[in-house]
Amino acid sequence: MPVLDISKPTFAVGCKWGGTEEAPLVLFPEGAMKVQGTGLAILALCDGQRTFTDIVEELQRQYFGADPQRIRDDATTFLEQLHDKRIVDY
Amino acid sequence: MLPNPLALIAEITHRCPLHCVYCSNPLELAVANSELKTEDWLRVFDEAAQMGVLHLHLTGGEPLARADLEELIAAANRRGLYSNLITSGLGLSRERLKRLVDAGLDHIQLSFQDSQQERADWIAGTKSYAHKVEVAGWIREHRIAFTANLVVHRQNLDHLEETLVFLERLRPDRIEIAHTQYYGWALENRAALMPTAAQLENALRVVAAAELRLKGKIRIDSVIPDYYAQFPKACMGGWGRRLMLIDPAGKALPCHAAGVIPGMVFDNVRQHSLQTIWNESSAFQRFRGEDWMQEPCRSCDRRTEDFGGCRCQAFLLTGDAAATDPVCSLAPTHNIVLQTIGESPVGIISPSSLSENWKYRPNPSRT
Repeated sequence: MPVLDISKPTFAVGCKWGGTEEAPLVLFPEGAMKVQGTGLAILALCDGQRTFTDIVEELQRQYFGADPQRIRDDATTFLEQLHDKRIVDY
Repeated sequence: MLPNPLALIAEITHRCPLHCVYCSNPLELAVANSELKTEDWLRVFDEAAQMGVLHLHLTGGEPLARADLEELIAAANRRGLYSNLITSGLGLSRERLKRLVDAGLDHIQLSFQDSQQERADWIAGTKSYAHKVEVAGWIREHRIAFTANLVVHRQNLDHLEETLVFLERLRPDRIEIAHTQYYGWALENRAALMPTAAQLENALRVVAAAELRLKGKIRIDSVIPDYYAQFPKACMGGWGRRLMLIDPAGKALPCHAAGVIPGMVFDNVRQHSLQTIWNESSAFQRFRGEDWMQEPCRSCDRRTEDFGGCRCQAFLLTGDAAATDPVCSLAPTHNIVLQTIGESPVGIISPSSLSENWKYRPNPSRT
């Protein structure tokens, strides 16, 4: 499902943080997923309050100097994939 | 260094109001009087959390048969374990479900036998269908992950499409299509349960279509049954690599069926810590790594992916627990499996004409 500018992504039901601060994981029914780098940065912003636009703007601040369109495209792909896996809802 | 397990499967009881013909419990069920006490389980969960275990699978038998389930879930939650409850729903009231959710339950997996009431109750050997449907409705009153699980086999695969629609209407987050695995009770009933090649082909098509239709709404997890696969499954993610199972009496097993392999000695959590068992127990060491492997596994590139398949299946079908899993197309004994699926097994049985091949799992005795 496409993520919209006004979408407010958050963990899907049954998904939560686990692991340790140094090696964070997303736990979900029957599995776990390591998250690091930009994936971690994106998920950390998915609090159900921020819109997708807010998240992209925040990422563009965090990764100042990187191509802003690329950041937007990467965040879109990442969130849509996690939505299909029922890890993120929006 | 040996990595610690990621998941703990807690078979907290073998008592169960259902008698499913494909039950994964061993033929020799743990009697009620041998079950671990609440405080034993609480200590096991503490130790598991300290070892870095992420997932706790509360299963059985029927875990609801234990009156302390709420307490066990609350303890798991306090220790940061992700709690999964694998249940038939029998013994669950709306009030008790609320207590389980309040205790911090993360995920409930409710089993279904069939979309047709008469057939479902016949497979389970008890009237359970109507209550399960009611339980599914109660689950959706809470914000909790819900998987509808369906074990599939020769007797229910012909109307899989209809069953998927039935499951979809229960509004789960996830549907698990589990092909019967032939150990324990399922092996006893294999002639009536083994699907035909045509059924399997149809099932793959139906599941693929449902995945497409439900994408982004309901996640579908399904695996090809291993008798029909080209290569074996990475059973338990490899022997003694990722999972640890504790049976109702406290015995620590590398997998559900490990008790069938002769000469196995299982250490008990009553006598040893989980970490000691994981590191030192002869049962966990027996097929860990690659030293035990024979050809063709020993020199096979896939040995780090499927670890030679399932040790219990190798023993049950070839008599040698260290043999290549005979479901593997490269196994010298692969013919055993080809013969099984080539045989014309028992046809579709009508619930009113019980076959002598149909053997229900009983309830364990008290002592």
